[in-house]
Amino acid sequence: MKRIVVVILALGLLLLANLSLFIVREDRQAIITEFGAPVGDAIDTPGLKFKLPWRNAQYFDRRFLEWQGSAEELPTRDKVFIFVDTYARWRISDPLLFFQRLRDERGAQSRLDDILDGETRNAIANHDLIEVIRSSNREAAADESYPDAGGGLEEIVTGRDKIRQDILAAAQTRTDDLGIQVLDVQFRRINYGEQVEPDVFNRMISERQRIADRFRSQGQGQASEILGNMDRDLKRIESEAYRQATEIRGRADAEATEIYASAYNQSVQSRNFYEFLRTMEAFETTIDPNTWLVVSTDSDYFSFLKASGP
Amino acid sequence: MADNFPGGDSPLDLGNVTKVLRERLGGLKIVALVVVVGLLALNSVYTVQPEEVGVILRLGKYAGTKEPGLNFKIPVVDQLEKVPVRRQLKQEFGFRSENVAVRSSFVGNAEEANMLTGDLNAAVVEWVVQYRVVDPYRYLYRVRNLDGTFRDMSEAVMRKVVGDRTVNEVLTVGRADIEGTVKLELQALCDQYETGIDIDQVVLQSNNPPEPVKPSFNAVNQAEQELERLVNEAEAEYNRVIPRAEGQALQTIQQAEGYALDRVNRAQGDATRFNALYEEFRQAPEVTRKRLFIETMERVLPKVGRKIVVDEDVDGLTPIMSFEGVSTARTSRQVAAQQAGEGTP
Repeated sequence: MKRIVVVILALGLLLLANLSLFIVREDRQAIITEFGAPVGDAIDTPGLKFKLPWRNAQYFDRRFLEWQGSAEELPTRDKVFIFVDTYARWRISDPLLFFQRLRDERGAQSRLDDILDGETRNAIANHDLIEVIRSSNREAAADESYPDAGGGLEEIVTGRDKIRQDILAAAQTRTDDLGIQVLDVQFRRINYGEQVEPDVFNRMISERQRIADRFRSQGQGQASEILGNMDRDLKRIESEAYRQATEIRGRADAEATEIYASAYNQSVQSRNFYEFLRTMEAFETTIDPNTWLVVSTDSDYFSFLKASGP
Repeated sequence: MADNFPGGDSPLDLGNVTKVLRERLGGLKIVALVVVVGLLALNSVYTVQPEEVGVILRLGKYAGTKEPGLNFKIPVVDQLEKVPVRRQLKQEFGFRSENVAVRSSFVGNAEEANMLTGDLNAAVVEWVVQYRVVDPYRYLYRVRNLDGTFRDMSEAVMRKVVGDRTVNEVLTVGRADIEGTVKLELQALCDQYETGIDIDQVVLQSNNPPEPVKPSFNAVNQAEQELERLVNEAEAEYNRVIPRAEGQALQTIQQAEGYALDRVNRAQGDATRFNALYEEFRQAPEVTRKRLFIETMERVLPKVGRKIVVDEDVDGLTPIMSFEGVSTARTSRQVAAQQAGEGTP
């Protein structure tokens, strides 16, 4: 019988231990409830913990948790419909409060849906599309092959990052008393709505056509410029050659004239002699078999004949 | 530990039964003990592979990280999780490699890849993030559904960065810049979320314009090539014409030089000849003059077809012209002789 008592005692102790000892894992936190009502502080350190056997341990996640926004088609202030898909990170910062206000994660998710989706809708509706897309006023990198291609980057006032932070701040104040902390909100995806998309594509196509036309006319322009240069160079080369050649000829003619003059123009006698010589040469070149020579008997020539005759 | 009772041949003696039971149970106890101890021992020994570390939770609390090799833990109390810290992990965005082999095939994922650029155009961006776990504790215990979170982060950061760039930058010139910026911002977000992840590399795959717009982008490429073609053709024409013209110009100039040489040389030759003759002439003017005249006549007159000598008293030529035959008779003896010597008129 003694043995049975020992066994029962041991079983009792085990049961007691099982009821009053509990393990909080590294990624969890816990609160203790007594008949449904929380008692004491939350337990947010991991390890082996102790509680009164009739109390219950309620575990909550200690990690960063997900929240996915519902991807919705929303109008921006400039009336463009875009799909906005957000996500958020949050954590249970005060398990007691969390348990009282929201009970569990499902409750938290649906409350976050209300708050974050609402804030997102407001933010999008209050800003132009460009403000939602861009986050800074950085200059686009220059691209030599596409000078001023595309619309360029429009200036923004607020910007994606600021809008995101505003949503976060608004959500944080509204979740303050829920025992949760929203850590971050991000725009995961932003795309054009189905009805806007064809217009955007058409705009992109016409933009590309504009660039293509530019390239074509640029090509024609550059080609014309080259051909123009060619004509100019051609004229320059030809005229320079003509100028040089004519100068050379002119100088040569001048030199030759000077040489002739210095030879023929030495004195009256030399001038006469030149005339005589030149006449003689002219005879040789001008007279041919078709020439009729009509000589008067009193001509110089004939006088020679007379004089030299027998 | 419910063992079967002894066989049917046992006598129905209660004392005997308990005795047999006790003997049998004694043996079983030892066996059970050995089995339990063996199981516990097996449970307390484990190996950590070279690319991993082991993380120990002792009664739910983090109790250190174990390096690769053979390790021990307290059975039941310690829990082990292995994290591949030395392996480079990879996530694909905008597409999925279907079967990773020598020839991988890829499937686009439009939802992930479509995004808006800063000039309000649309682009299809595909990218890969390579990362490693550097803090196994944070990796395991700080973020729930870390893989999903990481995907969300990567998409958000990529869209933010692309949203600040023109479509041209996204498709062509700005790729390296985008990769670098995304890497930095994603790392910052990883640190903020306490993921324990270190980004090695962000690699952009093929960035494309959306499918309906693609042909017009190709048209731009074609136009660009046409530009080059037109310019090349014009340059070819230039190169064909100008060097030839330059050659011709040189030819013209050389010809002029030739003319100049010719002209001057001739002039000099003529002058020298004249001077020589003139020297002779000055010494005996009359004789030289006559000699030259006669010599010239000698050369010239034989070429003359008809020679008519008219008396100085004759008023007109007509009477002579009508007597063609007579003309020869009336010429002087010398002239007639010369004409005969010529042979042909």
